[in-house]
Amino acid sequence: MLNIELGADGLVLMAGRLDAAQSQNAQSFLDGLSGAVTLDCSRLEYISSAGLGVLLKTQKRLLASSGKLRLVAVNHHLRDIFMYSGFDQLFEIESAEK
Amino acid sequence: MNDRASSRRLSAKDMEPLLAVTIHLAAPFDLITMLTEVVAAAKQVLNADSGSVWLYEPETDELVARVSTGLETVRVPAGSGIVGSCARSRQIINVPDCYADARFNPELDRRSNYRTRCMLTLPLVDHKGVLVGVLQVLNKADGVFDENDEVLAAALAAQCAVALQRARMIEALIEGEKMRQQLEMARVVQMSTLPTTMPLVPGYEVFGTFIPAELTGGDTFDLSLVGQGLLVVLGDATGHGIVPALHVTQMHAMLRMAFRLGADLETAFKQVNNQLADFLPEDRFITAFIGILDTQAHRLRFHSGGQAPILYFQAATGKCVRHNPTSFPLAAMPLTSLRPAVALDFALGDILVLLSDGIYEYCDANVEEFGEQRVTELVEANHQLPAAELSALLLQTVRSFAAGSPQEDDITVVLVKRTGLTEATRRAFPRDMAAIEAITVFTAEVFDREQIDASLRYAIDFTIEELFTNIVKYSKVGGSDVEIAIAKIDDGVEVSLTDHDVDPFDVTQAPDVDVSRPIERRAPGGLGLHLVRRMVDSIDYQYIRERCESRITFRKTLHGEPMVAPTNTQKENDAEH
Repeated sequence: MLNIELGADGLVLMAGRLDAAQSQNAQSFLDGLSGAVTLDCSRLEYISSAGLGVLLKTQKRLLASSGKLRLVAVNHHLRDIFMYSGFDQLFEIESAEK
Repeated sequence: MNDRASSRRLSAKDMEPLLAVTIHLAAPFDLITMLTEVVAAAKQVLNADSGSVWLYEPETDELVARVSTGLETVRVPAGSGIVGSCARSRQIINVPDCYADARFNPELDRRSNYRTRCMLTLPLVDHKGVLVGVLQVLNKADGVFDENDEVLAAALAAQCAVALQRARMIEALIEGEKMRQQLEMARVVQMSTLPTTMPLVPGYEVFGTFIPAELTGGDTFDLSLVGQGLLVVLGDATGHGIVPALHVTQMHAMLRMAFRLGADLETAFKQVNNQLADFLPEDRFITAFIGILDTQAHRLRFHSGGQAPILYFQAATGKCVRHNPTSFPLAAMPLTSLRPAVALDFALGDILVLLSDGIYEYCDANVEEFGEQRVTELVEANHQLPAAELSALLLQTVRSFAAGSPQEDDITVVLVKRTGLTEATRRAFPRDMAAIEAITVFTAEVFDREQIDASLRYAIDFTIEELFTNIVKYSKVGGSDVEIAIAKIDDGVEVSLTDHDVDPFDVTQAPDVDVSRPIERRAPGGLGLHLVRRMVDSIDYQYIRERCESRITFRKTLHGEPMVAPTNTQKENDAEH
C-alpha cells in the first residue's frame, strides 16, 4: 500500500511501498505538482523500477519548467537502488542518516 | 538305410496304405497323439500285431518309450539292446526269431505276458538327418517281416520321423508360450507392489520409477511413509525370470510388514535377511538398500546389503559422495552381527541417488557400460532440477548413450531430494499487477515462519516484483496463475517463479542499462533486471517444453556476492554534500 499526501510544510509525504501496483496512483498525484518539489521519503519503505519510472518522468517534467524533484530522508535500501540505477545522479538525494 | 531294402521299388499296391497314413500324419497332433498315430500307421502298413515308438533324448543319450498304459516310461541307453543298437547304427534290424537272438531281452515279454516272435526295428531320422527315435513293430500277422516290409517300413519311418519332430517342436513352442505367460504373471506380481504415487513429504521431493526389461529382472523399490519416517528401498534379486521377480516381491512385502509393525532399521534388516536366507535357494541372493529417513531431523539411516554404489549429492560441495554397502547381500547367509548403519544428514539441496545395475551396466553397441562416472557428472551438473525431471534426464541420457542397444536388465531409479520447499511456501498468484500486494504479504509470512534474515527481505521483494511484472507484461500466451515458491537455504533464500502455458522468454537476458547517461536520455524501461543483477547471487532461466513452462530461479544469501558488483556512483554526489 502507498499513501501520498501534501504535508503542511509543503513536503510531499510518501508512505508505504511504491511498487508496480501503486505507480499509477503515485504518477497521478505527482503530475499535479509543479516547481520545486521535495519528497519526504522517511516513511517510504520500498521502491521498485516501476517507482523509479514515476520519479524519472516527474523529474523530467519539472526540470523542463525550471522546477525539480528533491528526495529527503531516504532509507539505505532506497539509496542503494538509486545508486545502482544511477538515479543518484539525476536527483538531489538526502539520506535519512544525515 | 539298409542297402538291401533301398534297392527295391515299391509297387502301387504297397504305396496305397503308405500314402493314406502319410496324409493322416500331416495333421497337427500333439506329441502323445502323434505317437499313437505313428504306431497305428506302422501296424496297418506292415500288418503287425503290435508296435512302439522310442524317442531319442540327446541330453541323456537315451531312448524313451511310454508303455501301453501311457504314463509310465521305459528308458534304454542308446547302443544297448536291439532298440539301442538300431539308434546307434541307424540301420534297420530285422529279427525273424527273437528268442534265437542274443540281443533280445525276454523280460518285457514276461512282464506283459506277451510272446514276441519276430520284430522289425528301424531308425526314425528326419529330413535334416536328425535322429528322432526308433520305431519297432512286432509279430507280422502272417509270418515274418520280409524285404518288402523293410522297404515299406523305411518309407514309413521317414514320414513318421518328420511328423514326430514337428509335434515335438510344437510342444516346445507351447512350453515357451507357457513360460512367457508365467513370466508375464510374475511381472504383474512384481509391479503390483511398487508405489504408484509418490508420498508427499514436506520439504522433500521423492521420486521412484521402474522400467522393466523384456524378460523379467529382479528389481524392486519402495518409497512409503511408515511410523519411523520415509522408508526408502531399492532391491535387485540375482538372475532373470520368474524366480527373482517373486523373491524380490517377497522381500518388499516383508520389509513393509516389519516397518509397519514398528521394527527399527537393524531389526528389520537382520530379520528379513535371516528369513530370506532360510527359504531362498542356496545360490540366490538379493542386493538391497534399506533406509529410513527421519523427515523432521532430516537424517537418513541406512543399511545396504551389497547394493552399490550409493550416491549422495551434497549441495554444499556440489559433489557426489559414494557410499559402500554395510553388509553382504540379503539371503546370502544368516546375519549374526551387523555394522552400524550409515547416517546421512540431509542439508537443503542434497540428493540421495539410488540406481539399479540396469543403469550402471547399460551397454552401448561397443559393450561399454554407462557407468558410475556418467551418473555422477549428470547429477552434479543438474542437481537443481526437480527430482522427477532429474530422473527423466538420466533415463534420456542413458537411452542416447545406448543408441538403440537393447535394455538387458530392469532399471530402477530412486531419488530423495531435500528441497526445503513445503506446501505452505508455494503459492499461485493471478497475472495482474494488483497481485503484488498479496505477494508481499506472502513473502513476509514465509520470512517470518522460516525465520529468514530480515535484511534479505528488500532484495527478495524487489526481485520478485521485477520478475513478476515482467511476466505480466511480456509473457506471450499464458492465462494461468504464476506460482511463486520461496525456500530457505543455507544463509539465504531461493525463490522460483513458474509461469505455465507460455512461449519461452528468457528475461534474464535483458541487457544492462547505461546509467551514466544524462536525464534527457534516460528512460524508465529495462532498469528492473539491471538492478536485480546487482542484488542477487544468481538467477537462472529454464524452459520445460513439454509443459510450456517457464521457470526463473534466483538466490540471495547473506554473504553471497551479487552477480554484478554495484559501482559506486555516489562518490561525486557525496562530495557535493
